[in-house]
Amino acid sequence: MSGDEMNPAAVAQAVEDIQGDDRWMSQHTRFVQECKDAEPEVLFIGDSMVQLMQQYEIWRELFSPLHALNFGIGGDTTCNVLWRLQNGELDNIGPKVTVVWVGTNNHEHSAEQVAGGILAIAQLLTSRLPKTKVVVLGLLARGEWPNPLREKNVAVNSFLRSWLPRLGHTQFLDVGAGFVHSDETISTRDMFDFLHLTAAGYRAIAKPLIDLLLQILEGTPEEKRASLV
Amino acid sequence: MLMHHIANASLTDKVMSSEDSNPAATPTPGVDTQGDGRWMSLHNHFVSNSKDKEPDVLFVGDSLVQLLYQFEVWRDLFSPLHALNFGVGGDATQHVLWRLSNGELGHISPKVVVLWVGTNNHGHTAEQICGGIMAIVQLIKDKLPKAYTLVLGVLPRGKMPNPLRERNAQVNKLVQEAVSSLPHASLLNVDPGFVHSDGSISHQDLYDYLHLTPQGYQAVCQPLHAHLKGLLEKQAEN
Repeated sequence: MSGDEMNPAAVAQAVEDIQGDDRWMSQHTRFVQECKDAEPEVLFIGDSMVQLMQQYEIWRELFSPLHALNFGIGGDTTCNVLWRLQNGELDNIGPKVTVVWVGTNNHEHSAEQVAGGILAIAQLLTSRLPKTKVVVLGLLARGEWPNPLREKNVAVNSFLRSWLPRLGHTQFLDVGAGFVHSDETISTRDMFDFLHLTAAGYRAIAKPLIDLLLQILEGTPEEKRASLV
Repeated sequence: MLMHHIANASLTDKVMSSEDSNPAATPTPGVDTQGDGRWMSLHNHFVSNSKDKEPDVLFVGDSLVQLLYQFEVWRDLFSPLHALNFGVGGDATQHVLWRLSNGELGHISPKVVVLWVGTNNHGHTAEQICGGIMAIVQLIKDKLPKAYTLVLGVLPRGKMPNPLRERNAQVNKLVQEAVSSLPHASLLNVDPGFVHSDGSISHQDLYDYLHLTPQGYQAVCQPLHAHLKGLLEKQAEN
Protein backbone atom coordinates (compact mmCIF):
# COMPACT_ATOMS: atom_id res chain seq x y z
CA MET A 1 0.00 0.00 0.00
CA SER A 2 1.17 3.55 -0.68
CA GLY A 3 3.16 5.46 1.92
CA ASP A 4 1.06 8.47 2.77
CA GLU A 5 3.93 10.91 3.13
CA MET A 6 5.04 10.16 -0.41
CA ASN A 7 1.57 10.16 -1.96
CA PRO A 8 0.33 13.63 -2.91
CA ALA A 9 -3.22 12.25 -3.27
CA ALA A 10 -3.16 11.40 0.45
CA VAL A 11 -2.14 14.88 1.59
CA ALA A 12 -5.00 16.91 3.07
CA GLN A 13 -5.53 20.15 1.21
CA ALA A 14 -8.23 22.81 1.27
CA VAL A 15 -9.47 24.36 -1.97
CA GLU A 16 -8.18 27.87 -2.62
CA ASP A 17 -10.75 30.56 -3.41
CA ILE A 18 -9.55 31.52 -6.87
CA GLN A 19 -12.88 32.68 -8.27
CA GLY A 20 -13.60 35.14 -5.46
CA ASP A 21 -16.86 34.01 -3.85
CA ASP A 22 -15.45 31.55 -1.30
CA ARG A 23 -18.03 28.90 -2.08
CA TRP A 24 -15.94 25.88 -1.11
CA MET A 25 -15.35 27.15 2.40
CA SER A 26 -19.01 28.16 2.73
CA GLN A 27 -20.08 24.63 1.89
CA HIS A 28 -17.53 23.10 4.30
CA THR A 29 -18.68 25.43 7.09
CA ARG A 30 -22.28 24.43 6.48
CA PHE A 31 -21.37 20.73 6.71
CA VAL A 32 -19.53 21.30 10.01
CA GLN A 33 -22.67 23.00 11.34
CA GLU A 34 -24.81 20.10 10.12
CA CYS A 35 -22.64 17.78 12.21
CA LYS A 36 -23.66 19.73 15.29
CA ASP A 37 -27.36 19.58 14.49
CA ALA A 38 -27.93 16.17 12.92
CA GLU A 39 -27.59 12.54 13.91
CA PRO A 40 -27.05 10.79 10.59
CA GLU A 41 -27.08 7.02 10.28
CA VAL A 42 -25.52 7.27 6.84
CA LEU A 43 -22.91 9.80 5.71
CA PHE A 44 -22.09 10.40 2.04
CA ILE A 45 -18.79 12.16 1.35
CA GLY A 46 -17.11 12.98 -1.94
CA ASP A 47 -17.25 15.10 -5.06
CA SER A 48 -20.04 16.22 -7.43
CA MET A 49 -21.14 12.62 -7.97
CA VAL A 50 -22.23 12.69 -4.31
CA GLN A 51 -23.39 16.32 -4.30
CA LEU A 52 -25.64 16.13 -7.34
CA MET A 53 -27.43 13.03 -6.04
CA GLN A 54 -29.12 15.15 -3.41
CA GLN A 55 -30.76 17.32 -6.05
CA TYR A 56 -32.68 14.45 -7.64
CA GLU A 57 -35.92 12.88 -6.39
CA ILE A 58 -34.07 9.65 -5.67
CA TRP A 59 -32.39 11.20 -2.64
CA ARG A 60 -35.69 12.00 -1.02
CA GLU A 61 -37.18 8.61 -1.98
CA LEU A 62 -34.36 6.30 -0.96
CA PHE A 63 -31.67 7.99 1.10
CA SER A 64 -33.37 10.65 3.26
CA PRO A 65 -35.45 7.95 4.96
CA LEU A 66 -32.18 6.37 6.10
CA HIS A 67 -31.23 9.65 7.86
CA ALA A 68 -28.46 10.34 5.41
CA LEU A 69 -26.26 13.43 5.25
CA ASN A 70 -24.66 14.57 2.01
CA PHE A 71 -21.20 16.15 2.24
CA GLY A 72 -20.38 16.21 -1.46
CA ILE A 73 -18.60 19.17 -3.07
CA GLY A 74 -18.18 19.46 -6.83
CA GLY A 75 -14.60 19.39 -8.03
CA ASP A 76 -13.19 17.82 -4.88
CA THR A 77 -10.16 15.52 -5.01
CA THR A 78 -9.11 12.98 -2.37
CA CYS A 79 -6.92 15.73 -0.85
CA ASN A 80 -9.88 18.05 -0.39
CA VAL A 81 -12.05 15.35 1.17
CA LEU A 82 -9.25 14.42 3.55
CA TRP A 83 -8.94 18.05 4.65
CA ARG A 84 -12.67 18.37 5.25
CA LEU A 85 -12.80 15.18 7.29
CA GLN A 86 -9.85 16.34 9.40
CA ASN A 87 -11.39 19.77 9.95
CA GLY A 88 -14.77 19.22 11.50
CA GLU A 89 -16.94 17.19 9.14
CA LEU A 90 -16.71 14.13 11.40
CA ASP A 91 -17.24 15.91 14.71
CA ASN A 92 -20.15 14.84 16.93
CA ILE A 93 -21.59 12.27 14.54
CA GLY A 94 -21.63 8.49 14.60
CA PRO A 95 -23.05 7.18 11.31
CA LYS A 96 -23.40 3.43 10.96
CA VAL A 97 -22.31 3.63 7.32
CA THR A 98 -20.09 6.09 5.47
CA VAL A 99 -20.21 6.08 1.68
CA VAL A 100 -17.11 7.45 -0.04
CA TRP A 101 -17.19 8.48 -3.70
CA VAL A 102 -14.19 10.53 -4.88
CA GLY A 103 -11.17 10.25 -7.16
CA THR A 104 -12.35 11.17 -10.64
CA ASN A 105 -11.11 14.76 -10.21
CA ASN A 106 -7.54 13.80 -9.17
CA HIS A 107 -6.09 14.89 -12.51
CA GLU A 108 -2.54 15.45 -11.23
CA HIS A 109 -2.20 11.97 -9.76
CA SER A 110 -1.60 8.48 -11.08
CA ALA A 111 -4.18 5.71 -10.64
CA GLU A 112 -2.12 4.18 -7.85
CA GLN A 113 -1.83 7.51 -6.07
CA VAL A 114 -5.58 8.13 -6.37
CA ALA A 115 -6.33 4.69 -4.92
CA GLY A 116 -3.87 5.47 -2.12
CA GLY A 117 -5.73 8.70 -1.42
CA ILE A 118 -9.05 6.87 -1.22
CA LEU A 119 -7.46 4.28 1.05
CA ALA A 120 -6.23 7.07 3.33
CA ILE A 121 -9.79 8.39 3.54
CA ALA A 122 -11.12 4.94 4.47
CA GLN A 123 -8.39 4.59 7.10
CA LEU A 124 -9.23 7.99 8.57
CA LEU A 125 -12.92 7.11 8.74
CA THR A 126 -12.43 3.77 10.47
CA SER A 127 -10.10 5.33 13.02
CA ARG A 128 -12.28 8.40 13.74
CA LEU A 129 -15.62 6.56 13.64
CA PRO A 130 -14.97 3.13 15.13
CA LYS A 131 -18.60 2.05 14.70
CA THR A 132 -18.88 2.92 11.02
CA LYS A 133 -18.79 0.58 8.07
CA VAL A 134 -17.14 2.21 5.06
CA VAL A 135 -18.46 1.64 1.55
CA VAL A 136 -16.18 2.90 -1.21
CA LEU A 137 -17.90 3.33 -4.58
CA GLY A 138 -15.90 2.56 -7.69
CA LEU A 139 -15.09 5.37 -10.10
CA LEU A 140 -17.37 5.46 -13.12
CA ALA A 141 -16.30 5.51 -16.74
CA ARG A 142 -16.33 8.97 -18.33
CA GLY A 143 -16.14 10.58 -21.76
CA GLU A 144 -18.31 9.67 -24.73
CA TRP A 145 -15.66 7.39 -26.26
CA PRO A 146 -12.75 5.34 -24.87
CA ASN A 147 -10.07 7.67 -23.50
CA PRO A 148 -7.19 7.61 -21.00
CA LEU A 149 -9.39 8.66 -18.07
CA ARG A 150 -11.55 5.58 -18.49
CA GLU A 151 -8.47 3.40 -18.28
CA LYS A 152 -7.22 5.34 -15.28
CA ASN A 153 -10.50 4.98 -13.39
CA VAL A 154 -10.56 1.24 -14.13
CA ALA A 155 -7.04 0.99 -12.72
CA VAL A 156 -8.04 2.91 -9.58
CA ASN A 157 -10.92 0.50 -9.04
CA SER A 158 -8.59 -2.44 -9.54
CA PHE A 159 -6.21 -1.22 -6.81
CA LEU A 160 -9.16 -0.58 -4.49
CA ARG A 161 -10.56 -4.05 -5.03
CA SER A 162 -7.36 -5.61 -3.76
CA TRP A 163 -6.44 -3.10 -1.03
CA LEU A 164 -9.75 -2.32 0.68
CA PRO A 165 -10.63 -5.81 1.92
CA ARG A 166 -7.41 -5.76 3.98
CA LEU A 167 -8.79 -2.81 5.90
CA GLY A 168 -11.38 -3.83 8.46
CA HIS A 169 -14.99 -2.63 8.19
CA THR A 170 -14.48 -1.46 4.62
CA GLN A 171 -15.79 -2.72 1.32
CA PHE A 172 -15.69 -1.77 -2.32
CA LEU A 173 -18.84 -1.50 -4.44
CA ASP A 174 -18.70 -1.21 -8.22
CA VAL A 175 -21.82 0.61 -9.45
CA GLY A 176 -20.58 1.22 -12.96
CA ALA A 177 -22.04 -1.81 -14.74
CA GLY A 178 -23.95 -1.04 -17.90
CA PHE A 179 -22.86 2.54 -18.52
CA VAL A 180 -20.44 1.67 -21.33
CA HIS A 181 -22.40 0.21 -24.24
CA SER A 182 -21.21 -2.50 -26.63
CA ASP A 183 -20.06 0.19 -29.08
CA GLU A 184 -17.94 1.60 -26.22
CA THR A 185 -19.96 4.81 -25.97
CA ILE A 186 -21.61 6.35 -22.95
CA SER A 187 -25.07 7.80 -23.51
CA THR A 188 -26.23 11.26 -22.46
CA ARG A 189 -29.31 9.47 -21.12
CA ASP A 190 -27.10 8.17 -18.31
CA MET A 191 -24.48 10.93 -18.05
CA PHE A 192 -25.70 14.27 -19.39
CA ASP A 193 -22.16 15.54 -20.02
CA PHE A 194 -20.43 12.15 -20.16
CA LEU A 195 -19.39 12.58 -16.53
CA HIS A 196 -22.33 13.60 -14.34
CA LEU A 197 -25.33 11.31 -13.90
CA THR A 198 -28.87 12.01 -15.01
CA ALA A 199 -31.86 11.00 -12.90
CA ALA A 200 -31.90 7.71 -14.82
CA GLY A 201 -28.20 7.22 -14.20
CA TYR A 202 -28.65 7.72 -10.45
CA ARG A 203 -31.59 5.31 -10.40
CA ALA A 204 -29.31 2.67 -11.93
CA ILE A 205 -26.58 3.07 -9.30
CA ALA A 206 -29.01 3.49 -6.42
CA LYS A 207 -30.27 -0.08 -6.69
CA PRO A 208 -27.06 -1.93 -5.72
CA LEU A 209 -26.15 0.84 -3.29
CA ILE A 210 -29.42 0.85 -1.37
CA ASP A 211 -29.37 -2.96 -1.23
CA LEU A 212 -25.94 -2.88 0.39
CA LEU A 213 -26.85 -0.06 2.77
CA LEU A 214 -29.95 -1.86 3.97
CA GLN A 215 -27.95 -5.04 4.41
CA ILE A 216 -25.42 -3.22 6.59
CA LEU A 217 -28.03 -1.24 8.53
CA GLU A 218 -30.22 -4.27 9.16
CA GLY A 219 -27.13 -6.12 10.29
CA THR A 220 -26.62 -3.68 13.18
CA PRO A 221 -28.93 -4.81 15.97
CA GLU A 222 -29.32 -1.40 17.61
CA GLU A 223 -32.10 1.07 18.09
CA LYS A 224 -34.62 2.60 15.81
CA ARG A 225 -34.27 3.18 12.13
CA ALA A 226 -36.46 5.30 9.96
CA SER A 227 -39.33 3.50 8.29
CA LEU A 228 -37.83 1.99 5.19
CA VAL A 229 -39.34 2.01 1.73
CA MET B 1 -8.15 45.21 -22.39
CA LEU B 2 -9.73 48.20 -20.69
CA MET B 3 -12.51 49.87 -22.56
CA HIS B 4 -12.09 53.63 -22.93
CA HIS B 5 -15.17 55.67 -22.45
CA ILE B 6 -16.06 57.30 -25.76
CA ALA B 7 -18.51 60.08 -25.03
CA ASN B 8 -20.44 60.08 -28.26
CA ALA B 9 -20.52 56.39 -29.10
CA SER B 10 -23.50 54.28 -28.11
CA LEU B 11 -22.83 51.43 -25.74
CA THR B 12 -23.48 48.94 -28.53
CA ASP B 13 -20.82 50.56 -30.74
CA LYS B 14 -18.43 50.63 -27.82
CA VAL B 15 -18.68 46.94 -27.09
CA MET B 16 -18.78 45.86 -30.73
CA SER B 17 -15.71 47.86 -31.74
CA SER B 18 -13.50 46.04 -29.24
CA GLU B 19 -14.53 42.54 -30.38
CA ASP B 20 -11.02 41.76 -31.60
CA SER B 21 -9.39 42.72 -28.33
CA ASN B 22 -12.10 41.41 -26.02
CA PRO B 23 -11.37 37.80 -25.03
CA ALA B 24 -14.98 37.43 -23.88
CA ALA B 25 -16.12 38.23 -27.44
CA THR B 26 -13.55 36.14 -29.31
CA PRO B 27 -14.94 32.74 -30.34
CA THR B 28 -12.92 30.14 -28.45
CA PRO B 29 -13.52 26.40 -28.30
CA GLY B 30 -13.34 24.61 -24.96
CA VAL B 31 -9.97 23.04 -24.21
CA ASP B 32 -9.83 19.35 -23.28
CA THR B 33 -7.60 19.72 -20.24
CA GLN B 34 -8.82 16.57 -18.55
CA GLY B 35 -8.32 14.11 -21.41
CA ASP B 36 -11.78 12.76 -22.22
CA GLY B 37 -12.92 15.15 -24.94
CA ARG B 38 -16.26 15.86 -23.32
CA TRP B 39 -16.66 19.46 -24.45
CA MET B 40 -16.30 18.59 -28.10
CA SER B 41 -18.53 15.52 -27.69
CA LEU B 42 -21.29 17.74 -26.36
CA HIS B 43 -20.81 20.28 -29.13
CA ASN B 44 -21.01 17.53 -31.78
CA HIS B 45 -24.18 16.20 -30.17
CA PHE B 46 -25.79 19.63 -30.32
CA VAL B 47 -24.80 20.05 -33.97
CA SER B 48 -26.43 16.76 -34.93
CA ASN B 49 -29.45 17.56 -32.74
CA SER B 50 -29.84 20.72 -34.78
CA LYS B 51 -30.18 18.58 -37.90
CA ASP B 52 -32.98 16.39 -36.54
CA LYS B 53 -35.10 18.73 -34.48
CA GLU B 54 -37.33 21.72 -35.14
CA PRO B 55 -37.37 23.68 -31.90
CA ASP B 56 -39.41 26.80 -31.36
CA VAL B 57 -37.19 27.74 -28.44
CA LEU B 58 -33.44 27.22 -28.05
CA PHE B 59 -31.81 27.50 -24.62
CA VAL B 60 -28.07 28.10 -24.84
CA GLY B 61 -25.48 28.84 -22.17
CA ASP B 62 -23.58 27.32 -19.27
CA SER B 63 -24.34 24.82 -16.48
CA LEU B 64 -27.37 26.78 -15.34
CA VAL B 65 -28.91 25.96 -18.72
CA GLN B 66 -27.50 22.42 -18.83
CA LEU B 67 -28.72 21.41 -15.38
CA LEU B 68 -32.21 22.78 -16.07
CA TYR B 69 -32.69 19.94 -18.54
CA GLN B 70 -32.12 17.33 -15.83
CA PHE B 71 -35.01 18.32 -13.61
CA GLU B 72 -38.80 17.84 -13.87
CA VAL B 73 -39.29 21.56 -14.47
CA TRP B 74 -37.92 21.17 -18.01
CA ARG B 75 -40.48 18.52 -18.92
CA ASP B 76 -43.29 20.44 -17.23
CA LEU B 77 -42.64 23.91 -18.61
CA PHE B 78 -40.29 23.88 -21.59
CA SER B 79 -40.77 20.59 -23.46
CA PRO B 80 -44.33 21.67 -24.29
CA LEU B 81 -42.85 24.77 -25.93
CA HIS B 82 -40.69 22.54 -28.18
CA ALA B 83 -37.44 23.64 -26.62
CA LEU B 84 -33.89 22.40 -27.18
CA ASN B 85 -31.14 22.66 -24.58
CA PHE B 86 -27.57 23.49 -25.63
CA GLY B 87 -26.08 24.20 -22.22
CA VAL B 88 -22.48 23.24 -21.38
CA GLY B 89 -21.17 23.43 -17.83
CA GLY B 90 -18.24 25.78 -17.40
CA ASP B 91 -18.87 27.70 -20.61
CA ALA B 92 -18.07 31.40 -20.71
CA THR B 93 -19.32 33.80 -23.40
CA GLN B 94 -16.44 33.06 -25.78
CA HIS B 95 -17.21 29.34 -25.71
CA VAL B 96 -20.91 29.85 -26.47
CA LEU B 97 -19.89 32.22 -29.26
CA TRP B 98 -17.66 29.52 -30.77
CA ARG B 99 -20.36 26.83 -30.52
CA LEU B 100 -22.99 28.98 -32.20
CA SER B 101 -20.51 29.98 -34.91
CA ASN B 102 -19.60 26.37 -35.60
CA GLY B 103 -22.80 24.54 -36.41
CA GLU B 104 -25.14 24.67 -33.45
CA LEU B 105 -27.40 27.12 -35.25
CA GLY B 106 -27.28 25.27 -38.55
CA HIS B 107 -30.60 23.79 -39.75
CA ILE B 108 -32.80 25.21 -37.00
CA SER B 109 -35.00 28.29 -36.88
CA PRO B 110 -36.21 28.76 -33.32
CA LYS B 111 -38.52 31.70 -32.75
CA VAL B 112 -36.82 32.54 -29.46
CA VAL B 113 -33.27 31.96 -28.24
CA VAL B 114 -32.86 32.06 -24.47
CA LEU B 115 -29.25 33.00 -23.64
CA TRP B 116 -27.90 32.48 -20.13
CA VAL B 117 -24.13 32.90 -19.79
CA GLY B 118 -21.52 35.13 -18.19
CA THR B 119 -20.97 33.84 -14.68
CA ASN B 120 -17.96 31.72 -15.73
CA ASN B 121 -16.07 34.60 -17.39
CA HIS B 122 -13.36 34.65 -14.74
CA GLY B 123 -10.71 37.27 -15.22
CA HIS B 124 -12.93 39.39 -17.47
CA THR B 125 -14.39 42.75 -16.53
CA ALA B 126 -18.13 43.41 -16.51
CA GLU B 127 -17.68 45.46 -19.70
CA GLN B 128 -15.90 42.60 -21.43
CA ILE B 129 -18.56 40.12 -20.37
CA CYS B 130 -21.28 42.45 -21.66
CA GLY B 131 -19.34 42.67 -24.91
CA GLY B 132 -19.28 38.90 -25.10
CA ILE B 133 -23.01 38.63 -24.52
CA MET B 134 -23.73 41.32 -27.10
CA ALA B 135 -21.48 39.53 -29.61
CA ILE B 136 -23.64 36.44 -29.15
CA VAL B 137 -26.82 38.52 -29.57
CA GLN B 138 -25.40 39.93 -32.82
CA LEU B 139 -24.38 36.48 -34.08
CA ILE B 140 -27.86 35.13 -33.46
CA LYS B 141 -29.33 38.10 -35.35
CA ASP B 142 -27.01 37.40 -38.29
CA LYS B 143 -27.76 33.69 -38.44
CA LEU B 144 -31.44 33.75 -37.43
CA PRO B 145 -32.82 37.09 -38.64
CA LYS B 146 -36.35 36.31 -37.45
CA ALA B 147 -35.45 35.07 -33.97
CA TYR B 148 -35.90 36.99 -30.74
CA THR B 149 -33.10 36.72 -28.19
CA LEU B 150 -34.04 36.70 -24.53
CA VAL B 151 -30.96 37.28 -22.40
CA LEU B 152 -31.38 36.10 -18.82
CA GLY B 153 -29.73 38.16 -16.11
CA VAL B 154 -26.71 36.56 -14.47
CA LEU B 155 -27.62 35.40 -10.97
CA PRO B 156 -25.90 36.44 -7.75
CA ARG B 157 -23.49 33.84 -6.34
CA GLY B 158 -21.56 33.02 -3.18
CA LYS B 159 -23.05 32.66 0.27
CA MET B 160 -22.29 36.26 1.32
CA PRO B 161 -21.61 39.51 -0.61
CA ASN B 162 -18.47 39.27 -2.75
CA PRO B 163 -16.89 40.85 -5.86
CA LEU B 164 -18.52 38.34 -8.23
CA ARG B 165 -21.98 39.49 -7.14
CA GLU B 166 -21.01 43.05 -7.96
CA ARG B 167 -19.53 41.99 -11.29
CA ASN B 168 -22.65 40.02 -12.26
CA ALA B 169 -24.97 42.88 -11.27
CA GLN B 170 -22.88 45.26 -13.36
CA VAL B 171 -23.01 42.88 -16.33
CA ASN B 172 -26.80 42.86 -16.12
CA LYS B 173 -26.93 46.66 -15.94
CA LEU B 174 -24.67 47.05 -18.99
CA VAL B 175 -26.54 44.44 -21.03
CA GLN B 176 -29.87 46.04 -20.14
CA GLU B 177 -28.59 49.34 -21.53
CA ALA B 178 -27.13 47.69 -24.64
CA VAL B 179 -30.32 45.84 -25.61
CA SER B 180 -32.68 48.67 -24.79
CA SER B 181 -32.44 50.03 -28.33
CA LEU B 182 -32.76 46.63 -30.04
CA PRO B 183 -36.12 45.35 -31.30
CA HIS B 184 -34.94 41.76 -31.43
CA ALA B 185 -33.52 41.29 -27.94
CA SER B 186 -34.18 42.05 -24.30
CA LEU B 187 -32.86 41.23 -20.85
CA LEU B 188 -35.04 39.41 -18.35
CA ASN B 189 -34.09 39.52 -14.68
CA VAL B 190 -34.91 36.02 -13.37
CA ASP B 191 -33.62 36.52 -9.83
CA PRO B 192 -36.72 36.11 -7.67
CA GLY B 193 -34.90 37.56 -4.67
CA PHE B 194 -32.31 34.93 -3.80
CA VAL B 195 -30.31 37.36 -1.66
CA HIS B 196 -31.86 37.67 1.81
CA SER B 197 -31.92 40.82 3.92
CA ASP B 198 -28.72 39.76 5.69
CA GLY B 199 -26.95 39.47 2.34
CA SER B 200 -26.89 35.68 2.40
CA ILE B 201 -27.97 33.19 -0.25
CA SER B 202 -29.55 29.93 0.91
CA HIS B 203 -28.33 26.50 -0.14
CA GLN B 204 -32.01 25.59 -0.53
CA ASP B 205 -32.02 27.82 -3.62
CA LEU B 206 -28.39 27.50 -4.80
CA TYR B 207 -27.04 24.24 -3.40
CA ASP B 208 -23.39 25.29 -3.75
CA TYR B 209 -24.15 29.04 -3.84
CA LEU B 210 -23.89 28.96 -7.66
CA HIS B 211 -26.07 26.17 -9.08
CA LEU B 212 -29.85 26.05 -8.68
CA THR B 213 -31.74 23.41 -6.74
CA PRO B 214 -35.02 22.16 -8.24
CA GLN B 215 -36.75 24.63 -5.86
CA GLY B 216 -34.51 27.41 -7.14
CA TYR B 217 -35.34 26.49 -10.73
CA GLN B 218 -39.08 26.61 -9.96
CA ALA B 219 -38.73 30.17 -8.68
CA VAL B 220 -36.74 31.20 -11.76
CA CYS B 221 -38.70 29.29 -14.36
CA GLN B 222 -42.31 30.15 -13.56
CA PRO B 223 -41.92 33.82 -14.59
CA LEU B 224 -39.53 32.83 -17.40
CA HIS B 225 -42.10 30.42 -18.79
CA ALA B 226 -44.84 33.04 -18.66
CA HIS B 227 -42.60 35.56 -20.40
CA LEU B 228 -41.61 33.03 -23.07
CA LYS B 229 -45.21 32.16 -23.84
CA GLY B 230 -45.93 35.84 -24.30
CA LEU B 231 -42.97 36.20 -26.67
CA LEU B 232 -43.95 33.14 -28.69
CA GLU B 233 -47.48 34.43 -29.07
CA LYS B 234 -46.16 37.76 -30.29
CA GLN B 235 -43.81 36.05 -32.74
CA ALA B 236 -46.72 34.01 -34.06
CA GLU B 237 -48.61 37.22 -34.83
CA ASN B 238 -45.71 38.61 -36.89
